[in-house]
Amino acid sequence: MADTYDAGDVTLHRVREYVWEIPPEGGMRVPARVLASERLLDEISDDLTLTQIRNTTHLPGIVKHAICMPDGHQGYGFPVGGVAAIDAETGCISPGAVGYDINCGVRMVRTNLEYDDVRGREEELVDALFANVPSGLGGGGVVQTDKSTLEEVLDRGVDWALESGYAVEDDLNHCEDEGVRPESDPDEVSQKAKDRGRQQLGSLGSGNHFLEVQRVTDVFLDDVADAYGLSEDQIVVLIHCGSRGLGHQVCTDYLRDIEREHEDLLNRLPDKELAAAPAGSRLAEDYYHAMGAAINFAWVNRQLIMHRTREVFERVFGRDWEDMGMHLLYDVAHNIAKKEVHEVDGNDQELYVHRKGATRAFPAGRPEVPAAHRDVGQPVIIPGSMGAGSYVLRGGERSMAETFGSTAHGAGRLMSRTQAKNEYWGGDVQDDLREGQQVYVKAQSGATIAEEAPGVYKDVDEVVRVSDELGIGDKVARTFPVCNIKG
Amino acid sequence: MSYELRDHTADVGIAATAGSLGGVMAALADGMAAAQCDEWPAVGDRFDVEVRAENPEALLFDYLDELIYRRDVLNVLPVDNEATVREAGGEWILEGSAMGVPLDRIHAREIKAVTYSEMRIEETDDEWEAYVVLDV
Repeated sequence: MADTYDAGDVTLHRVREYVWEIPPEGGMRVPARVLASERLLDEISDDLTLTQIRNTTHLPGIVKHAICMPDGHQGYGFPVGGVAAIDAETGCISPGAVGYDINCGVRMVRTNLEYDDVRGREEELVDALFANVPSGLGGGGVVQTDKSTLEEVLDRGVDWALESGYAVEDDLNHCEDEGVRPESDPDEVSQKAKDRGRQQLGSLGSGNHFLEVQRVTDVFLDDVADAYGLSEDQIVVLIHCGSRGLGHQVCTDYLRDIEREHEDLLNRLPDKELAAAPAGSRLAEDYYHAMGAAINFAWVNRQLIMHRTREVFERVFGRDWEDMGMHLLYDVAHNIAKKEVHEVDGNDQELYVHRKGATRAFPAGRPEVPAAHRDVGQPVIIPGSMGAGSYVLRGGERSMAETFGSTAHGAGRLMSRTQAKNEYWGGDVQDDLREGQQVYVKAQSGATIAEEAPGVYKDVDEVVRVSDELGIGDKVARTFPVCNIKG
Repeated sequence: MSYELRDHTADVGIAATAGSLGGVMAALADGMAAAQCDEWPAVGDRFDVEVRAENPEALLFDYLDELIYRRDVLNVLPVDNEATVREAGGEWILEGSAMGVPLDRIHAREIKAVTYSEMRIEETDDEWEAYVVLDV
């Protein structure tokens, strides 16, 4: 087994199995680490991912090491699948290290239906979901908001949905931060961002966002699966989307404001997209509070889609959603920055933990994990492609020491969208999935299906295997698509 | 003026050339429309756009951001973009227009945002070249 991996102008040194390190050089303040098998590393080193993870180590106040997850790939400025923990008093916060789609994330809804209950009705179900869950561009949202409603959503998150009849108390108990960021401030969100969000509350959007009915195919940890309420052949629903135009605009606005106000810091960074506000500065505080509001928007967005999904299931199966056991398993963010306390060099330190395309994966016992899951560890939901499985993990015991309590967020893209459209035809992909794997897909556009064809993604099984082997996210269960809708 | 969609692992890159700075920015805006929709009917009203910024890169960023904003609030896809750029008093000013194709007439995919990543605007001997990465 080689001790180094040569990736052109970057040489990685093996720390131990699946842990690779780029030592500090030039303006790097700490090493950069890549968590990958050699097979995944071959893919990760094929674009600008390694350059981008190395660039993130230039951010002032970064501690220990920047980390690229097993599903890492090139993003803009900061790689997708990147984690950077930065001192919250002397460091900085970077909107680009969170990403434009603030609180893009995933939620999984359990049911007590089994695959046999759905088999033969897939077409009816996918049509009903597609007709009722807004997706694509200009498709509106589950609710139309006025000014005061939007302010409430930004301020109170899922608590607003509870009061308005779109949620039950139990939903809040199964959501990261119980569905509310207390440090949100709607006043720090621009009018432009609010204008974009008003028509989109409760909508999937497009790109890689989707709603998928899945069946549980494998259970790996019986006791944890039991605690999560998962068993083989069970039907679950996975919802993947974010904060829509509102969140995108918050990131854009603060990137520009920081560029103008902190040019001195920006000039010391290797990529303009890493623009960061020094900790304690007005813009750092304002961005953190605006991001909190966008996080709340995203949680309500996914909540409304879940509410609509419950209604669709009620109509299709003729039973109440409670009777079908359609309870939220968990909702996790994978584009977010949060103040968290972690042990660094033997001392507790408050950090801005940036996770862009990475999922919080706290183990059992952590007070941040909702009480419903604290005894077994936080559920981590890893969506795969339309033709591959998705996974439910639980936060691993090693995650706090290795990754600031983080793991991967998906399969990770392998192929560009332009290449995907040259190699695949949406209709063929749709037919192959239905005839070959009994997966029913419906989308606003064939191009979206081509861009999201199973072959454009890394092997999710390998991503999850590495996470499991490293002890940062333990395999609990695997699911496989039954119906998929996308924008 | 012309544009080309370029490979990018997760997002989309657009390269453009034109005889003027305004032209190359309008070509990138046309590329942004093409990244969202393969074909559209020649219907829709034209609307004006004016953007001011401190340098050409920031101007391009703000221009494409403004078109994304208009798309979401007007529910139209901005196509057939035209733009002129001038500098006045240390400020860069883009004045342009676009035709807004109603989103309910097309199947469009969403570009989330414009990024500074790998952004390039260069004047060569006889034309302008530019490149931008858009978040999908």
